[in-house]
Amino acid sequence: MNRRQLLKALGLGALAGISPLTARRFLATAGNAAPPTRIVFFVTAHGHTPKSWNMPFANAPIDQFIDRPLLPMARAEFSEMLRPLHPYRDRLLVTEGLANVVNLHNIGEAMRTGGDINNHSIAVAGLLTGNVVQQNVGVPCTGGARSIDQELAIRTGAPGRFGSRVYGFDYSAVAGVSPFSFLGPGQASPKVADPLVAFRDLMGLYVPPPTGEPPSREQVLSGLRPSVLDAVAREYDFLAPQLDAAGKQRLEQHRDFVRDLELSLGAGASATCDPRFVPTGDRITQFMDIIKLAFACDLTRVVTFVAPVPECTEFGYPADATVHRYAHRSIAGGSTCGAMYEPEAERAMADLGVWYANHFAYLLEQLDSVVEGNGTMLDHTAVVWLTELATPTHYHHDAFAVIAGGGNGKVKTGRYVRYPRTDGSPLAGYANVGPAHNRLLLSLMRVMGQSDDTFGLSSVRSAAGNVISLQGALPELLR
Amino acid sequence: MKRLAWLILAAVACGDNIAAVGPAPLRRLSNLEYRYALADLFPTVAVELPPLPADTAVAGFENEVQAQQPSDLRIARFEEVAVLYASAATKDDAAVRLLTGCASWTTPSEAAACGAQFVRTMGAKLFRRPLTVDEEDRLLRKLTAWSMSVDFAGAVQLSLSAMLQAPQFLYRPEPQLALDGSVGAIAPVEPYAMASRLSFFLWESVPDDELLAAAARGELQTVASIREQATRMLADPRAARLIWDFHRQWLALDRILNDEHDYRTPEIDDAWTANTKKSMLRESQLFVENSFLRVGSFADLLSSRTAWVNADMARIYGVPAPATADAWTETDLPAEQRAGLLTRAAFLAGTSHRGGTSPPVRGNAIMLHMLCRLPAPPPPDADLSMPVQDPRIGPQTNRELFADRTATPACQQCHRALNGIGFGFENYNAAGRFVTQEHGLTIDAASRLFGTDVDGAFAGAIEFSEAMQRSREVYNCASQQWLRYALGRAATDDEAGLIGELTDQFMTSKGDIRQLLLAIVTANTFRMRTVGVAP
Repeated sequence: MNRRQLLKALGLGALAGISPLTARRFLATAGNAAPPTRIVFFVTAHGHTPKSWNMPFANAPIDQFIDRPLLPMARAEFSEMLRPLHPYRDRLLVTEGLANVVNLHNIGEAMRTGGDINNHSIAVAGLLTGNVVQQNVGVPCTGGARSIDQELAIRTGAPGRFGSRVYGFDYSAVAGVSPFSFLGPGQASPKVADPLVAFRDLMGLYVPPPTGEPPSREQVLSGLRPSVLDAVAREYDFLAPQLDAAGKQRLEQHRDFVRDLELSLGAGASATCDPRFVPTGDRITQFMDIIKLAFACDLTRVVTFVAPVPECTEFGYPADATVHRYAHRSIAGGSTCGAMYEPEAERAMADLGVWYANHFAYLLEQLDSVVEGNGTMLDHTAVVWLTELATPTHYHHDAFAVIAGGGNGKVKTGRYVRYPRTDGSPLAGYANVGPAHNRLLLSLMRVMGQSDDTFGLSSVRSAAGNVISLQGALPELLR
Repeated sequence: MKRLAWLILAAVACGDNIAAVGPAPLRRLSNLEYRYALADLFPTVAVELPPLPADTAVAGFENEVQAQQPSDLRIARFEEVAVLYASAATKDDAAVRLLTGCASWTTPSEAAACGAQFVRTMGAKLFRRPLTVDEEDRLLRKLTAWSMSVDFAGAVQLSLSAMLQAPQFLYRPEPQLALDGSVGAIAPVEPYAMASRLSFFLWESVPDDELLAAAARGELQTVASIREQATRMLADPRAARLIWDFHRQWLALDRILNDEHDYRTPEIDDAWTANTKKSMLRESQLFVENSFLRVGSFADLLSSRTAWVNADMARIYGVPAPATADAWTETDLPAEQRAGLLTRAAFLAGTSHRGGTSPPVRGNAIMLHMLCRLPAPPPPDADLSMPVQDPRIGPQTNRELFADRTATPACQQCHRALNGIGFGFENYNAAGRFVTQEHGLTIDAASRLFGTDVDGAFAGAIEFSEAMQRSREVYNCASQQWLRYALGRAATDDEAGLIGELTDQFMTSKGDIRQLLLAIVTANTFRMRTVGVAP
């Protein structure tokens, strides 16, 4: 496959100062081909406070397994952080209570052998590998095995299509900590941190950087008029079938004019593969647009995105505050490293969570806007939100995860699953913990059509000397 | 369900009103309703709107469903207006606070709560009912996504723009689907839809909070409940819009705005300006609105001498001018010269030409609008030019010229009645001024009505207006037109009985417009609908 094979991209010249260009041939699935399954690992730092994430179910003691449908739940019943995802609840699978048992194992090993025991570096190295870390003398530990995204890249890659794309930012909570994605032991995956560079990579040609000022707010608003018209047209689609024949016909006529206007303003929002990119919104938002483009044009099926830890001003907090400082003080009775609980810190971490959730929701909306097969691209994708630490107070158990999107029918969506603490911990001094995070990774392998029994380590020993199995997919997550 | 349907039918048959329930096609907001709705929803937002494509008037009315087919221009204008309004309504933080009712959206959690509140409350205002769960989800998804692309205020702006273009705002969809077995039965219009029926008829705009609250309580399902709300609404200043717009359209009063009325020859009116025609329409509007607020009867509209005049209109009517040129002041018009709408300048000048009156045009306007009769067109060889003085004969009155022109038996088939009306208005010249002489001759405004239920001699337009107040045909015509305006469509044959009943009530009440409107909104065809099926 000639990656430089050229295809005229439509209408690019008018947008964002990009000169008319020819670009990569898109492998977008033609006609009736079944839509492929894709996966996004959306990684944010520092975990979540239980108060902001946990659904407050009545009559459900915290030590009991629950599996509840999300669809009947009102917005107000959703936890604060998950509320931005409420409109997607039919395609949402939320979990609570998994434990990164391998992290605890790695900490135990490092304490025994004298390696790096920093919770951050251990957690970053283990999140996507589920494996032993690589300890290097005098520096933070790093990933000791190929991470799940790169394993899937190898297995789902094809000539002419990128096995995966790794986007995002350095893990800035602690300096020198390695990234999440690994080609192999100690080998970080190459990562792109500039959305425009990511776009050029996908296009396969160097594109001169846009000249002049970035678009003004007015220009961005004006550029979203087609997006508004798309939303309007959908309202006509929803309402028309509820009317009599004449009313239905009138609304359909109206809808058609709305669609015409949308096109005349320069966009068809539900085009399957629209090889255009206009940088709008912040850096996370721009990458979400890139992911949509890459999937819609089938340029890759696996993306890892590591969100930045923002400046506090980005989510409405003082410039002299830091996320890390808030994190340590965010849970009453659970603060660590000698930090005292501060209600303001708990509030800040909840707001940071909502800030991430809004971006996550943005990605879901973009994927859901691409019509594909009998549904939308979101139906054929698993968008997985993970954090390296379970809680801002640096615990590795009682973790939270979201799988959004149907994963091509494989994900049991529309549910909230809580796992109680049933398993022993490899680390002395820890109470019992929930099922292993590795089993979540394995479940995601299944979603991507892989039939492995294990991902990462297959077992560890508890502090009490019992074998803790890390094998088997989590049946609650899969159809 | 069948039993319930039968009970409904039985109740209808025994009710106070004629049972017929006509079709209820999907209605779009007319331009008037759209503008009033925007003004009522956003009282603090001042936006200069681009011209909307004119509503196609049917039988003079601009809210006729059958003429509401969408067009590319209209949809583009709706978008433009939505963008303008949404932008102005969110122009700064204070505006966003006012629009959303939120104190702050600085943090993501505040913004999320504010966004949800905005969608729910603004959605309920614009869609005139609580949003469905799905609607709220869809709008919130967009709001969240747009807030990522721009910022929170920008997302509010774009969401408002979307809602202003949504069919739930621009149209008046009503729940109409059948439960099993009830197809074809008639049932009360769902409460929120009924609130909109009432408000778009009586106020030409969206329901207010009180009306929506009544709908939320499940009211507006009985004659008594509808009557209570409608009575309240008719006492509200917004009802004056309906009264003016209806009469303006029914009597084609705004024909005075046509280009031909930019000028009058100096012999007719030497002080006429391009603004005079606007003053004339304004004078009619002030008269009609105030007549309704003070009296509220059709009889008053045809007999009152109370007027509001500016300097231009004072000159036309020969009454003292207000102290300042632009002011409008209340006055009494001369008793022997004026009485009601048919003797006011907008009608009189609007049915004239720039160089003189045309009695047949005035007669035709009365026939068409007041008597609901469509005159036959003139024969193909008829001379339609204005008759002019023949110097060989010597001066003649306008009446004599028209009488000569239409003297043949073929002409007289129609012109006997048309001229019969029009000659009675000859004391008002083409500028609407009262004149008794032309070309040195005394004007004769004594005439006779033919072919009506109040036939006979009358002397001038004041007596003519009195005759109109005695004519059942006129009340019948008014009832018919009012019903048409209320329904956005012509009455069906089945609704003829209702028109008869409305006519009786209207006459009995001496033209009490409030009573007529209450009778319309409590009629089955207004408050009920046939249960339909999905297409």
